[in-house]
Amino acid sequence: MNEPKLSRRDFLKLTRTLLLTASGLLGLGGLIRFLSYPSQPLAPTEFDLGPASNYAPGSRTVLPDVPALLVHGETGFTALSLVCTHLGCTVESQPDGFACPCHGSRFDLLGKVKRAPASKTLVSRRVEIGPDGKLHLFTN
Amino acid sequence: MRPSFFHHLHPPSIPARQARFRHTLASGGLAVFLGLVLGITGILEIFYYIPTPGEAALSIQTLTFLVPFGGLIRNLHFWAAQSLVIVSSVHLLRVVFTGAYLPPRRFNYLLGMGLFVLAILLDFTGYILRWDEGIRWALVTGTNLIKSIPLLGKTLYGSLVGGTEPGAATLIRFYGWHIFGLALAAVLLVAWHIFRVRRDGGIAVPPPPLRETQERISRVELVRREVLVMLLASVALLLLSVFAPAPLAPPFTATSPLPESVRAPWFFLWVQELLKLGSPFLWGVIVPLAILALITLIPYILPKPIQSEIGHWFPKSNRLAQVLFIIILVSLLVLTVLGLLPVSY
Amino acid sequence: MRRLIVIASALLLLTLLGIAWLESRHVIPVALTPSLTGQVEYCLSCHGDLPEIGKSHPVKSFGCVLCHGGERLALEANLAHNSMRGGKNPADFSVVQASCGGTICHSGSTEGYRDHIQRATTSIQATYAGAIASIRYTFGEQPDLTAHLGTTAIQDSQSTSGITSLEVFNPLLETNPAVLAFGQTCLTCHLFAQPGQTGGRYDHFTGCTACHTPTQSSDLTSIDTKTATQVHKLTTAISYAQCDTCHNRGNYDLRAITFQPRQDTPTDRLHDYYQPIAQFTKCEYTLDCIDCHTRTEAMGDGNLYSNKKQIQYIQCKTCHGTLTGLPQTLTITDPNHIAFRQSLLNPVIELKPGDNVLVTEKGEPLWNTRLQPDGTYELVGKATGQVFPFKPVMGSGCTQDPDDQSSGSCHKCHSVER
Repeated sequence: MNEPKLSRRDFLKLTRTLLLTASGLLGLGGLIRFLSYPSQPLAPTEFDLGPASNYAPGSRTVLPDVPALLVHGETGFTALSLVCTHLGCTVESQPDGFACPCHGSRFDLLGKVKRAPASKTLVSRRVEIGPDGKLHLFTN
Repeated sequence: MRPSFFHHLHPPSIPARQARFRHTLASGGLAVFLGLVLGITGILEIFYYIPTPGEAALSIQTLTFLVPFGGLIRNLHFWAAQSLVIVSSVHLLRVVFTGAYLPPRRFNYLLGMGLFVLAILLDFTGYILRWDEGIRWALVTGTNLIKSIPLLGKTLYGSLVGGTEPGAATLIRFYGWHIFGLALAAVLLVAWHIFRVRRDGGIAVPPPPLRETQERISRVELVRREVLVMLLASVALLLLSVFAPAPLAPPFTATSPLPESVRAPWFFLWVQELLKLGSPFLWGVIVPLAILALITLIPYILPKPIQSEIGHWFPKSNRLAQVLFIIILVSLLVLTVLGLLPVSY
Repeated sequence: MRRLIVIASALLLLTLLGIAWLESRHVIPVALTPSLTGQVEYCLSCHGDLPEIGKSHPVKSFGCVLCHGGERLALEANLAHNSMRGGKNPADFSVVQASCGGTICHSGSTEGYRDHIQRATTSIQATYAGAIASIRYTFGEQPDLTAHLGTTAIQDSQSTSGITSLEVFNPLLETNPAVLAFGQTCLTCHLFAQPGQTGGRYDHFTGCTACHTPTQSSDLTSIDTKTATQVHKLTTAISYAQCDTCHNRGNYDLRAITFQPRQDTPTDRLHDYYQPIAQFTKCEYTLDCIDCHTRTEAMGDGNLYSNKKQIQYIQCKTCHGTLTGLPQTLTITDPNHIAFRQSLLNPVIELKPGDNVLVTEKGEPLWNTRLQPDGTYELVGKATGQVFPFKPVMGSGCTQDPDDQSSGSCHKCHSVER
C-alpha cells in the first residue's frame, strides 16, 4: 500500500481553494458584466443637417454637434471629423488646416497630420442626401 | 503555516465553551458580515441609482431588470439589510441573556445600541430611496413625527427634509445620509465596537476558577468557524435573493394613485400600531425613545449579573433584565403582528 | 470543520452556478424607442408577437406606453402592468383622456371634428340619455322628454342643444318600479358599460374600442363558435356585426321591462343583419352601417341631446337625391381635407385632389363615394371594399312623393323580401 502523495488535510485544502477560486471567478465575471451595462443612451450615429440648399457651393461649415466640418466641394458634399485622432479633443479650424488645443497636434486642410503627437489622419464622415433633399451625416 | 493578517485580527485563542455556535449564535460576527455585504452591494448600486424624484424609481427598475445581475445585487442588499436588523436584535438578546454587559463591557454595550439605532435608520433611509408609490406615507408620517417635537421640531424637520414638505431636496439628503452620513458613523462605531471587544478581554467568560473547562480554540480555528458561517450566510442570502425579490412599485409622481396598502416598513409596524392610540409626539417619539432608553439603561439600572455567572445563558443574577427584555420583545412582536393583520375600519 | 468548509464552498459554487443558469433563462430585453416619446420601452420583450394595432398607430411612432401606460422598464409582469390604464382597454372612457387625449391626438379642436373624445363621451350612445329620458317620462318620473340624466354626470357648457349638463342616473334613487327595473336590467348597452354577456356574439369592449376594435366578424360561417376575440386592432372599417353587438338584438317589452332577444338563427348576411321584423332595402343589407351613417351620427357632434333622432339625419336622398335635385357633391382640393385623411386610413377608394365626393346637408363629406367624370356615381363599402355604382333618383322612373323623404316611403317599393 503506497503512502498517499496528498494528505487528507491537503486534499481538503486544495478542494476548498479550487471551489472558492471558481466561485470567485464566477463572481468576478458577474461583476464585470454588471459594470459594463450602458446606462446612458448611446451617442447618435446619424445627424440631420437640414436642407442641402443651406450649404452653398464652396462653403466649409463647422458642425459643432457632431463635431465635423461639412465641405460643399465641386464633386458634392464631404465631411471631415473634427475629433483629434490623438486623444479626442475637438480641433479648431485654421486657415491652413486644423489645430488641436490640447496637446498641439496640427492637421492640414485634408486632415493629414502635420505635427505630432497625433499620428492618424482625421476621419472622413459619410454624407448622403435623402429623398427629401435633406443632408444626413453618419458617424458609423 | 504562519497566521495571516486576518488571523491576527483575532485573539490568539478564545475559550472553547463560549466559542460554540450555540453560545453566541454567531450573531455578532454575522452582523459584521452582513454590514460588509451591504457596503459592497451598496457601492455597486451607487453606479446605477439616480437620486432625483423623476429618476429614482426608474433607475431602480433599470438596475433590477436591465443590468446583468442588477436584480441580484439589489435583492442581496435588501435581504442583507433586513437580516441585519434581525441578527442585531439576536446579538443584543444574546448579550443580555449571557450577562455580557458588566463593566468593562458596559461602554461597548452603549456602542452596540448606537449601532442598532444606525442599522434601523439606514434601513429606513434606504426604504425611502425607492421613491415609489409604496413609500409615500412612510415619508410623510416619518418626517411629520419629527415636526411633532415641541420647540425643536420645526428646525429638525427643516434640516431633515430640506424644505417645507418632502421633495427633491429630501431625497438627496436621505441619499447623503444613507450612503455617507449614517454609513460612515456605522463604520466608525463598528471599528470601535470590535476594538472594545478585544480590549475588554474578548468574549465574556466566567473567571478561570469557575469555568467547567479550560479548553480553548486557536485563532486559526476561530477563523475557520467564521469562514464557515460566512459561506453559509452567503448561500442563504443568494437563495433568498433569487426566490424572494425585493419589493418595487411604480414611481411616485404627482399623479400617482393612493397606495392600496398603507403599511409601514416591517421594522416600524410596531410604531404604526402605537400611533393609532393618539398623540404622535407621545406614541411616535416619546414611547419608542423610552423603550430604547430602557434597553440601553439595563446595565445601569437593573440588578447586574455576577461575575461568576456571565458567559453562560440565563444567569440567575440578572433575571429581571432578561424578563424585562422578553416583555419588551414580545410586546414589539405582538404590535408588529397586529400591524400585519388586514385593515378593517 | 475543514470538511464542513469544503461542503459550504461547494454549496456556494453550486448556488452561483444556479444563478448564472437562471440568468441565462431571463427574458431577453427588446428595446423600442418610439419617435413620439423618445423614451425607451421594453414591452416587446414579452409582447413581441402582438400584431401592430393598425396603420394609424404604428408602434415605431407610438410605442406601447403612450396609450396603455404601464412601467416601460420593467420586465416583470406585475410591476410592468401595475400602472397600465384601463386594464386591457386604455380607451375605456374612465381613462380615455389620459390614453387617447391631447391636443395633437384625439382631444383636438372642433375644427374638422378633431375633438373625438369630447364628441364620443357626450354622444347619445355614451350618455344613453334618450333611453333614460323616455323610460322616465313614460312612467311619469319626468314631465317631458328632455334629458336630465345620463350614464355619468357630464358637463358641456358649449352645448348648442339647450342641454348643458346631465346628472348621473342612479336606479336606486328611482321610486317607480319600472324605472328601477330598467336601471337594473337595461343599462348594458352604452359605451361606458361592460356588455352583459362576455364572450360570444354580443361581446365588445367599452369606450372608443366598442366600435373601433373588432370583436366580431361578419363571417357568418363561424357564428356558432364565435368567442370574444381579444383583437389588438384599431380600425375604421367597422362591419355591421360590430354594431350588432348592441343593435338589432331584439325588442323591449315596456310593460314588463324585459328584453326579448331575437330567436332566429341566420345563416346569411341578409337575415343576420336586421331583426326578422325589419324592412330594409337591398343597399341597407349590403352596405355596412358606417357606409351611410356619418361621423357625427355615430360619434356625436359634441352636444348633449335628449334623443337619437336629434343627431340622426342621413336619408336616402343624401346619396340618391330627389326627383328634382341631384345629390350634393363637394370638390376636394385641400390635401389635408378630412376626406383624404379618412381614405388614407382605409384605402378602399383612391381619392385624388379634384375628385368630387358626395356631401351631406351638414357638410360632412361621404369620402367613400364619388361622382365620376362621366356623371355616374359610385360607393365603395368601407368594410367590404365592394364597389357599388348607383343612380340618382332624378331622371329615373321613381314615383316618390317629393315631400316625404322618410325612409319608410322608399321602403314601400324598394324593401327586400327575405
